[in-house]
Amino acid sequence: MSLSKHQENDRIVRIEKLNFYFGQGDLRKQILFDIDLDLQRGQIVILTGPSGSGKTTLLTLIGALRSLEEGSLQVLGKELRGLSHPQRVKIRRNIGFIFQAHNLFDSLTARQNVEMAVEIQDNWGNKRELSSHILTQLGLGERINYKPHHLSGGQKQRVAIARALVNRPQLILADEPTAALDKVTGREVVNLMKTLARERGCTVLMVTHDNRILDVADRMVNLVDGRLESDRPVSQLAAMQDPTGLDRQMFML
Amino acid sequence: MTRKAQKRWWQFRTPLAWHNLTSEPRRLLTALSGVSFSVVLIFVFLGFKNGLYDSQVQLIKSLNGDIFIINRIKYTMFIPEQFARRRLYQAQAFDGVEEAYALYMELGNWKNPLTNRTRSLRILAFNLNEPVLELPELQEYRSQLNQPWTALLDRRSRAEVGPQTPGLKTELSDRQVQLLGTFTLGTDFSAGDGNVIMSDQNFVRYFGNLGPEVDSRSLETIDIGLLQVQPGVDVVALAQQISQTLPNDVSVFTREQFITQELTYWKENTNIGFVFSLLSSLSFVVGVILVYQILYTDVADHWSEYATLKAIGYSNKRLLWIVMQEALILSVIGFIPGFLISSLLYDLIAGATGLVLQLTLQRVLNIYIATIAMCVISGSLAMRKVLTTDPAEVFGL
Repeated sequence: MSLSKHQENDRIVRIEKLNFYFGQGDLRKQILFDIDLDLQRGQIVILTGPSGSGKTTLLTLIGALRSLEEGSLQVLGKELRGLSHPQRVKIRRNIGFIFQAHNLFDSLTARQNVEMAVEIQDNWGNKRELSSHILTQLGLGERINYKPHHLSGGQKQRVAIARALVNRPQLILADEPTAALDKVTGREVVNLMKTLARERGCTVLMVTHDNRILDVADRMVNLVDGRLESDRPVSQLAAMQDPTGLDRQMFML
Repeated sequence: MTRKAQKRWWQFRTPLAWHNLTSEPRRLLTALSGVSFSVVLIFVFLGFKNGLYDSQVQLIKSLNGDIFIINRIKYTMFIPEQFARRRLYQAQAFDGVEEAYALYMELGNWKNPLTNRTRSLRILAFNLNEPVLELPELQEYRSQLNQPWTALLDRRSRAEVGPQTPGLKTELSDRQVQLLGTFTLGTDFSAGDGNVIMSDQNFVRYFGNLGPEVDSRSLETIDIGLLQVQPGVDVVALAQQISQTLPNDVSVFTREQFITQELTYWKENTNIGFVFSLLSSLSFVVGVILVYQILYTDVADHWSEYATLKAIGYSNKRLLWIVMQEALILSVIGFIPGFLISSLLYDLIAGATGLVLQLTLQRVLNIYIATIAMCVISGSLAMRKVLTTDPAEVFGL
């Protein structure tokens, strides 16, 4: 009994028979079909799929940014279906969000941008130390007091990651975090994200088209036309040891 | 888990509102000019309105009486009706009345010695041994004013009245007059172009024998009777008692009632209030639109940042407060230059028109409250953009 409870606790995200629709009446269109998906603690999961496959929608549902109509979706042990708007806002405070664009306030320094996230936890005593610490861990120790327009693209995205990680969330949702970055910088940013996520035992769900960073993940979920097409450990892909095969696999994704 | 601590007074939220406003100096400057401009317009228009009203009762306020007696027909100061002197004596006989003074008024034509044109001035005359008008200059000129054909001129008379140099000799109502000096009162609608003070004896010299067509004046009819009340007497009750006892050809007022009657006349019979209230409301609307533009641009430019804050768990309430703070900061730093410019303009306008423009604390506070309202209304309009922002939309951008 206690063992199963422990297992329950290790499921950070638990999705059962989730259906999702956009629009009303005749214009109602189903976006997600019968999704079943569990994310275990500490896993780094990549969600791929062609555009329009519903992966961003799934991400926003898990992030409590949309309300759920059918099926069950539990995040951090809480059922999201039927939650009011203020309740969903509260859930979101325990999730780290990383976006394609860094979305930092130009008028605030790197540290102040991170502090804005600390403040929603009503954590006042050491917001400055927390922010400086995480920025230093992300290699921005020298640039804590710089404003975004004095930072490079990769540095800005690292500030955004610091903002997502500073509250030590157990779940991080990332939407194409490397899309605006070049190959080397993208790699660097993802590696840092991986290191910190591992260190802190947090679960990462990342939507990406970027083939170059697939190897950071433990698991890859493929969504096609709103249905789960495949769900397999990344090690299997790597184990094929066949570069052409791998590429074909990527292409399929 | 991280240690959580209650927010203390020295632990501030990141001042996002302040940084957003000040990060672009040019935009801030535009916003401030907008707020100041509207503040100045409101100040000037309300200043005119209040100034026109204040000016009408300026003379009454300088009269040294607790109770006033006037002809019942005289429902405003410019009605040239007098009452019989014996009414003043009757009123003086009441218990509690200490002194009774008479004020005589008449319009006289003052000739500008430079242009030879005449201007209509209001003559105020009384027994110089009685403290009818509380003006410091009167003490100085009292003995000289007792000489025949002498007068004092209001320093705030219109410029067309001509030079005000002491010793000047010119004409008043076709008779010679010597100007002894000046005093400060201010013009109003019933004063013509200014005021003249003279002794009651001189008043009779000028207006006691005007010829066959016009009613000549004598000291037997009074324009305004002033009663001074003994200390500790209930002025309102005494005024009522006198009013009920005296024949109803006179009205008896306390100082407050007299002022109210005059103001009511101007408020009910002129468009001053309507016109200037409308103008100040329009300035208010202009301010709302200007500030709204600025705040809306800020919200629109930072749309994805605000949406991100919403996504990571900021409530609408907190985001609204950020925009509100921007509005409040604008109201404070826009009001100060607006206020300073306005007080400068008040001096200029008062100098040019002779109107009494008073910046009372109450009026300044009222306009500041209006400024806050202006910025808060703009803020709440600009906020709708934040409210309707769907944080899910920042994904997949």
